[in-house]
Amino acid sequence: MTQHLLNPAGLLLVVALLAAPTAALAGLRRPSWAGIVGASMAGLAFGLAAWGWRAGGDRIDVAWAPTWDLRLSFALDGLAVLYALLATGIGALVLIYASRYVPLHLEHQHRPHTDEIRFHAFLLLFMGGMVGLVMAQDLVLIFVFWDLTAIASYYLIGFDRHEAEARASALMAMLVTGISAVCLLIGAMLLYADYGTFALPELFARAESSPSVTTAGALMAIAALAKSAQAPLHFWLPRAMAAPTPVSAYLHSAAMVAAGVFLLSRLYPLLARSDLLLDGLLTIGFLSMAVGGILALTREELKQVLAYSTISQYGYVVVMLGLGGTYGTAGAAFYVVAHALAKSALFLTAGAVTEATGEKRLAALGGLWRRMPLLAAASGAAAAGLAALPLTVGFFKDELFFVAALKRGPVFAALALVGAALSLAYVGRFWIGIFLGRSRAEAQPIPTALVAPVVVLGVLVIAGGIVVEPVTDLAASAGAVTYGSPTPIHPAYHLDARPENLLAVGAWALGAFLLVARPIWVGVALAVARLGERIGPARGYRLLLGGLNRFSDRIHAIEVRDLRSRVATVLVPAAVLVGAGVLVTPTRDQFLVGGVRGADLPLLLVLLLTAIAGVATCVPRDHLSMALVLSSVGYCLAVVYAFSGAPDVALVAVLIETIFALLFLGVLALLPRQVLRYESFRAVGTRRGLRDAFVATITGGFAFVVVWGVLSRPSPQQSVIVEQADLTPAAHGKDIVTVILADFRGLDTMGEITVIAIALVGLAGLLQRGRLR
Amino acid sequence: MTLLTSLTVAVLFGSGAFLVLKHDLIRVVVGMVLISNAANLFIMSAGLTTGREPIHPLPATETIADPLVQAMTLTAIVIGFGVAALLLSLVYRVYTSHLTVDLTTLGEAEERAEAALELEAQRDMDVEEAGLLFARPERERE
Repeated sequence: MTQHLLNPAGLLLVVALLAAPTAALAGLRRPSWAGIVGASMAGLAFGLAAWGWRAGGDRIDVAWAPTWDLRLSFALDGLAVLYALLATGIGALVLIYASRYVPLHLEHQHRPHTDEIRFHAFLLLFMGGMVGLVMAQDLVLIFVFWDLTAIASYYLIGFDRHEAEARASALMAMLVTGISAVCLLIGAMLLYADYGTFALPELFARAESSPSVTTAGALMAIAALAKSAQAPLHFWLPRAMAAPTPVSAYLHSAAMVAAGVFLLSRLYPLLARSDLLLDGLLTIGFLSMAVGGILALTREELKQVLAYSTISQYGYVVVMLGLGGTYGTAGAAFYVVAHALAKSALFLTAGAVTEATGEKRLAALGGLWRRMPLLAAASGAAAAGLAALPLTVGFFKDELFFVAALKRGPVFAALALVGAALSLAYVGRFWIGIFLGRSRAEAQPIPTALVAPVVVLGVLVIAGGIVVEPVTDLAASAGAVTYGSPTPIHPAYHLDARPENLLAVGAWALGAFLLVARPIWVGVALAVARLGERIGPARGYRLLLGGLNRFSDRIHAIEVRDLRSRVATVLVPAAVLVGAGVLVTPTRDQFLVGGVRGADLPLLLVLLLTAIAGVATCVPRDHLSMALVLSSVGYCLAVVYAFSGAPDVALVAVLIETIFALLFLGVLALLPRQVLRYESFRAVGTRRGLRDAFVATITGGFAFVVVWGVLSRPSPQQSVIVEQADLTPAAHGKDIVTVILADFRGLDTMGEITVIAIALVGLAGLLQRGRLR
Repeated sequence: MTLLTSLTVAVLFGSGAFLVLKHDLIRVVVGMVLISNAANLFIMSAGLTTGREPIHPLPATETIADPLVQAMTLTAIVIGFGVAALLLSLVYRVYTSHLTVDLTTLGEAEERAEAALELEAQRDMDVEEAGLLFARPERERE
């Protein structure tokens, strides 16, 4: 275990986390530098991740808050390498694309080009969060980076912040993924309560299958599924398409939604303790495949089609994790790589096409292959990859999927076939709709930087289909981390009639049929989509949010706008609680009446006078009388102090009371007569008056019980008094109180003087002449 | 004695609470002063011993009053004064900016201001959606 940062894992983490500030600083110098510097940082991080993979992984482990048993422990294991390569590699490509796309985007919207810095910085912040998340070996760290990605995604989705739709979408993504993240924290706490650690390796070693582990696993799975946009929490993803295209290409293909399935893969050893959880994953995965697939077939807008297809395809991954086993876990990792490469290429294609033609809808596009042959070929390769055609890396993802499903049973294989057919149908519709058929839109020439990343990704998809070993290695080492033991997978082309090949052929046939027979089923699919809008979870979200908003308005109205109600809501419950406390505790011999000696008589009389003056303060209508009665309370108290053997306190009380009375009269003199008159003769409703009197009585009662209870129990400890009395001559003083203030507790007095000085400064400022506003 | 002192503290506290619940901000300040007076008396009477004033030379036969609570009460009185003075000047400041010291009137004014603010935000949003707000001068756009 290395303690320093100079290993691939440490360097990768540092570079990934420093990328955002570095790019922002470069952008301050010149906005266009942010993208270039950011892309180089991402490329460097990619190189480090690849080095770490070749070096066989490494880890860092530094104490963070030792008293709470928290450590900064990160490991670059197989799973982390896979997701880190995706996050940094696709991140670098997307940043190159964005460095040309964002300036054009800002120009269309007449926004200052300095906004570009924000874009790159948040994209890189997201990348840093993602790298930290995949390497974290501790649930608290996972939670921290999880939320970091949520925050970065909020700013990225809401990048067009002048558009209400973008803001609402960003909020929705933030709320759905952020509130579900609390489930992750609760799950972590449950595990901590049982096993006393947040460290994942220890948890994996010690956790048993118990109800509390299942509950914790379910809670953490909720967070992961919401992040991966799985039904029924899928509705935020299509809304998030309000983001600029590079954001969608990155967050919604390779990073943010991938974080969800990453977490499932990371926590798989815990989830696998319970068959119930794995079955739940299967159900949700198939549901998402169906919902995403059917809705993707009904959408017209390019990015909407891709968004629903993402929901559906992460459904595959969740299903594979639910199936589990060698092929399920390693297959899931393989699937994530293949999907991320192909899907980000398609998102970037959508952005490039919209940039060239100004059109966003499938119906308005067509025949573009003549204008953009290179883009058509590259995105064709990516589309073929998603549709699992041979000679692409995507073929193997479906092969592994079919193998995993076949191991479970024929029903699962059939469902897998339908899912694969759906994905061929919507991807085919997307690509054919843009590039084949009759030309409908004029295309302007677009910068090379908008095509080059798509070409790189398309080439990777094809290369992976020809030489599959690197991807297989990566997926197998990731799967080994998930599964807990080696997961050898052997995807290859087999030219025979084995079941997975038959399933693939069946899926192509069914998918092609769906493509051709669109008029037959489109009505049904549209009806399903409409039904989903009517009663779907998105509606529940809106109702919930609206309800919460109204609730908070009401609390605001009750509490904040009315000081008196707020005071009453503090005082009355406090009094009631104290009363309840007194009722349930034994009170015999706890309250002493206390004897009255003859010498106490003067003190008694002054106390009586004080109480009378206190009540009398509430009586007068005019403010002058009230001020005078208030002073009399203070002077009475001074006499009480004098009779209690406290001449110092009595003197100070007289002095302070005099100053305060003068100040009070001065402020009254500053206020105009009619304001005071209004307050004096303002009618107070009877109900209001009764309520105030009731609250005051209850409050006084509670004060009485507390004070009497405390005063009845003086502690017998008196050594402090003796000690201070003995020490006073040594401090060259005679009056013990003075010596306490000036010497024993001199620092307190210093603080007190400071408080008074601050109050004086504030007072001088507030009393200055002249009106505000 | 204990009972009677507690009663006095409670009466002062209750009167203070009654005044704090009023509409009139000046009365709210007076209520706060009464409550802090109640607290001072409470601290003072929480002394462990009673008797002569704690000043040397100490009496040989009688006990002395607890000097520690006296020091604390002294501090509390002075701090209480500082707080009350600041509150009073805040009331004056409220008057200078709103021409009233009445909580009901102030609350109504706040609600009106809030409604106006919301209206303004609505208008801004309309402007934003029209794309006017973000039309920057040519030189900024480069």
